[in-house]
Formats: sequence, C-alpha cells, structure tokens
Amino acid sequence: MISILHRVLNVLLATSVAILIVPVSLQIFSRFTSIIPHYIWTEEMARFLFVWTVMLGAAVGVREQAHFDVDLWPDLSPRLNAGVKLIASVAILGFALVFVWAGYEFTRFGWNRTSELADLPLWTIHIAWPITGLLWLIFQGQHAVKQLRIALGGSAS
Amino acid sequence: MMGAVLSPGVAAAILFGTFFSLMFLRVPIAFALGLSCLPIFLVEPRLTAQNLVQETFNAFNSFILLAVPFFLLTANLMNVGGITDRLMKLSRTMVGHFPGGLAQINVVLSIFFAGISGSSTADAASQSKIFIEAQRKEGYDDSFSVAITAVSAVLAVIIPPSILMIVWGGILTVSIGSLFLAGIIPGLLIGLVQMATVHVYAKRRGYPTYPRATLSAFAIAMLVSIPALMTPVIIIGGKIFGWFTATESAAIAVLYAAVLSLFVYREMDFKGLYAALLDTGRLAGVTLFCVGTASAFGWLLAYYQIPKVILAGVGAWDLGITGTGVFIAVVFLIVGCFLDAIPAIIIVGTILQPLAVKAGMHPVHFAMVGIVSLAFGLVTPPYGLCLMIACSVAGIRIRDVIKDTMIMLMPMLGVLLLVIAWPDVSLILPRLISPEFLK
Repeated sequence: MISILHRVLNVLLATSVAILIVPVSLQIFSRFTSIIPHYIWTEEMARFLFVWTVMLGAAVGVREQAHFDVDLWPDLSPRLNAGVKLIASVAILGFALVFVWAGYEFTRFGWNRTSELADLPLWTIHIAWPITGLLWLIFQGQHAVKQLRIALGGSAS
Repeated sequence: MMGAVLSPGVAAAILFGTFFSLMFLRVPIAFALGLSCLPIFLVEPRLTAQNLVQETFNAFNSFILLAVPFFLLTANLMNVGGITDRLMKLSRTMVGHFPGGLAQINVVLSIFFAGISGSSTADAASQSKIFIEAQRKEGYDDSFSVAITAVSAVLAVIIPPSILMIVWGGILTVSIGSLFLAGIIPGLLIGLVQMATVHVYAKRRGYPTYPRATLSAFAIAMLVSIPALMTPVIIIGGKIFGWFTATESAAIAVLYAAVLSLFVYREMDFKGLYAALLDTGRLAGVTLFCVGTASAFGWLLAYYQIPKVILAGVGAWDLGITGTGVFIAVVFLIVGCFLDAIPAIIIVGTILQPLAVKAGMHPVHFAMVGIVSLAFGLVTPPYGLCLMIACSVAGIRIRDVIKDTMIMLMPMLGVLLLVIAWPDVSLILPRLISPEFLK
C-alpha cells in the first residue's frame, strides 16, 4: 500500500519536473518571437509548480531516507544503531506534526485568496504543507516501526 | 529590538544548541534546522509555527532557485543522452597519456561538465558512477578515487554556469553575468592544480596510464563534441548579452541538452528520460527543502539581530581588503563544514556583506571569495554533500577518505589565497568583456 503511494508520488514528481520547463520556455520564446503572446502568468506558474516539486521531493526523500544527515558516531551494533535512528525518527515525526498543524492553518489562511498574477486560489499551493507533513508521518512512521523492532531485538521485516 | 522576550544571546544559544544537538543525533540537517526554530516559536509570543511555514514558502516561491532543478536535469540528460560519453572520449584523447590517466580524465571531464551544468552535486553523483568503479578496476586506491571525484566535482560551482553564482547574484544583488565571467580563471586554476595533484599521486603510487591518442583521434573526438561544447558559450553569452535571465539560461541548458540527446546524439529513450526526470526531482527536493528550513533559521537569526551582535567587534578591527577577504573565507570554510552552500549564502552571505562593503571589497571579488570557499565546503566533513555522495556510491565511509581529501584541498587552498589577495584574478575577465557591469 505504502509502496504504491511511493510509486504514484514518483510519477507525480517526474511529471512536475517535466512540466516545470514549459512556462519558463514559453517566457523565453515569447520574448523573441511573436508566434505566442507574452503571457504574464508564466513566471508565477513556474514558481508555484516549483513549490510543489520541492515538497513532493522532500516527501519522497523521507521514504527513501535520502535527506542528508551527519554521522559522527563510531561503529555501533545494529541494535544500538537502530536505537539512535529511532530518536531521529521521532524528531522527524514531530516536525511532520508541526507541518500538518501549521500547514492546516496556512491552508485556511489562503482559502479565500488568489495569487497576484495568474489569479490561482492560494490554497492549492498552501495545501502542499499539510500534505507533505502527512506523507512524512506515513513514510517515517514505517521506518520508525522497523527501527523499533530492530532496537528491541526482533528481526526487520 | 521591539518586544522580543528573548535576548539575542539566549535566542542564539537556543537556535545553535538545538541544531547541533539534533545534528549529533543524526537528524537530517534539513529537519534539524527546522526543529531548532520551534522552541523560539513556542516562547516568543509574537511568533508562531505559522512563521515557519510562511518562511519556507517564501524560500521556495522563488524564480531564482528554479535554476537548481534545471541544472540537475541538464546533468542527468547529459548522462542518459550520450553527451557525457562523448566528452569523456574527448578528455581521454587529451590527457589519457598522462600518469594516472583515468584520474586526469576525471578532472578534465569535471571541467567540461562544469561549463554545461552548474550543479556540483549532479557532477559528483554522475561521475562517481562512472569513475569510482573504473578506477578501482585499474588499481587505484579507493580513498584516492573517491576523493578526486568529489574534489573535482566542486569545479561545477566555480566554473560558469553555477547555481551558487545565480543564488548569490539573486540574493545579494550582484550582476550574475559578471560572476559567470569572474569564475572562469579561478575555476581553471583549481582544475589545473587538481591535475598537478593527480600527477604527483600517480608518480608516487605508480597509477596506470593510457597510450597517447593520435592527433586524428583527438580531432574526431573534438568534432563530435563541438555541439556539446557550445553549451557554455550559449549560456554565458546569452546571459551577458541580456538575452535571458539566469534562471532562463538554466532552462536553455535543459532544452539544448534535450535537443542534443534526442536529435544529434540520439541516445535517449523514454525510460532514460523518466529516470533523468525522477532523479532530478529527488535530488532537487532533498537539497532545496533544506534551503527552506535554513531560510527560516536565518530569518530568526535576523529577527533577533544576532549577526549584528556577533560581528559588532569585527568591524572595528579594520582589516583591509585582504584581511577581510581572509576573514570571510575562514567564516565560509567553517560554515561550509556544517551547511550546504545555498543555505550558507542565505544565512551567512547576507551577514558578511556589510563587512565586505566597509572594507571596500568589490562585490564581485567578495562573491568569488565566498563561492570558492563554499565550494570547499562541498567536500569538507561532517557535511560535505559531494563527498557524501561519492562515498555512498563507492560504499565506503567518509572517515576513510578524509586524509586524501584534505591533501587534495591544500593546493586548492593556495588558489583561494590567490583569489583573495589578487582581486584581478576574478575581476579581469568581467572588466575586459563587460565593463558596464563593473561600474
């Protein structure tokens, strides 16, 4: 179930990177040719899509444990290592909760507002925060359960 | 300070104390930066966690940072589209016959790569996959292979185009066109001292070499690579002549690499394209998310005017241009050990700017000192992204490669000192080519 979610997010992420190039290209070409008009919304469009790309990437990064950390510890036994990682997991889960809660407020704040140039409803961008927080809870929760099992001496499965 | 409950000292102690504790507990840096802001939001009545979300939003809602995914994508397209292969062949005909031929190719390819993509992390990721295994097979020591791959990857942010220059120019309002020009000579010098370092290593350790390529082989490789080698000319030229903005120049790099991959070299299939896009999204997401939380952290530092307090004494030292340059370099070298370069520019670059202005440093000179110092930070532990990437590809630990990395950084430090002491190393090209930028 969680791996399906991961795959869907991957497709969304790759797609958003691909689309990202479109508004910026339009912006360049409209300046040098008269085939397409000079749209005013391209810059804002690109920025908003970029926000989503970063947030999706940050969510996928938690699933793949790709966020960089600093390892200053000596070699630890697998159980102790899992214990240390569990502490980090709890910290990430805490941060995820803050994103869900503050992100929810943030989305409500943007509920009736629209963007300056493209007139997009702002909540469509703001909602990226609570969603990312939720995804972190799911993905990091999965890691934490696994780490807890190892730390307690069971086998990882 | 209007109505802040915490004094700058207490706020700084909370911010840095929490950050370093969490870092020590192996919380990813991006999360550690964000989490260390939270106690402040709880204590300070005027601030809430809303500010955290708002600041990360403001950081991502930036047209400048779009250059990051674009340059990553350019690099990935180069790899799947056969551009990297052709540049590699060209490098081989140029330096393959030197002692330690493969390692020399590693450096030269990084120089070419640096001229097309502006991302060192992308360089480290792709060249680690190409070189580390190949060098292992030819009998190079692992720690040498990892170190040279990581260290040469930093050229990507010094030789234009460069993500760091775009971010620096955008945040501290310096002409990005002149930064691009300013990076050429320091970048090539660093490439040169790296090749010299490889030469000494290869002589002492007896690393293998390839037979000298014939002139015609070189000519053919050159001819094949010309379309790819045109990229820096298009990007830098376009920026200087004002055809497009910095972010747009990164988009041009993507489009040009895509055209070469699809129509000229014709090696890209759908699967390769999807992998390139996904890989870009992942790396961009992870590195840029960190920029978001770092911005919130930096915003809080500014809120309590902590930088002002820290630097209050330094301004009185009256260091002169060179002394100030050294001071700036040392600060960035230390910060670079713990932070990625973009957050470092956001947090520290803005702090140091008044100091550079006061000493009468040229903004472009200041930028180059900062960017070259931060480039070192990409390979200095504990948090050196390029070194971490190269180590994870090689499957070895950072502490096993620290020694060789430090040895390789020594001659590069010489170039940094030259850049500090002799502003013309950076300023001569912008002055010759686009004097109007340098007022």
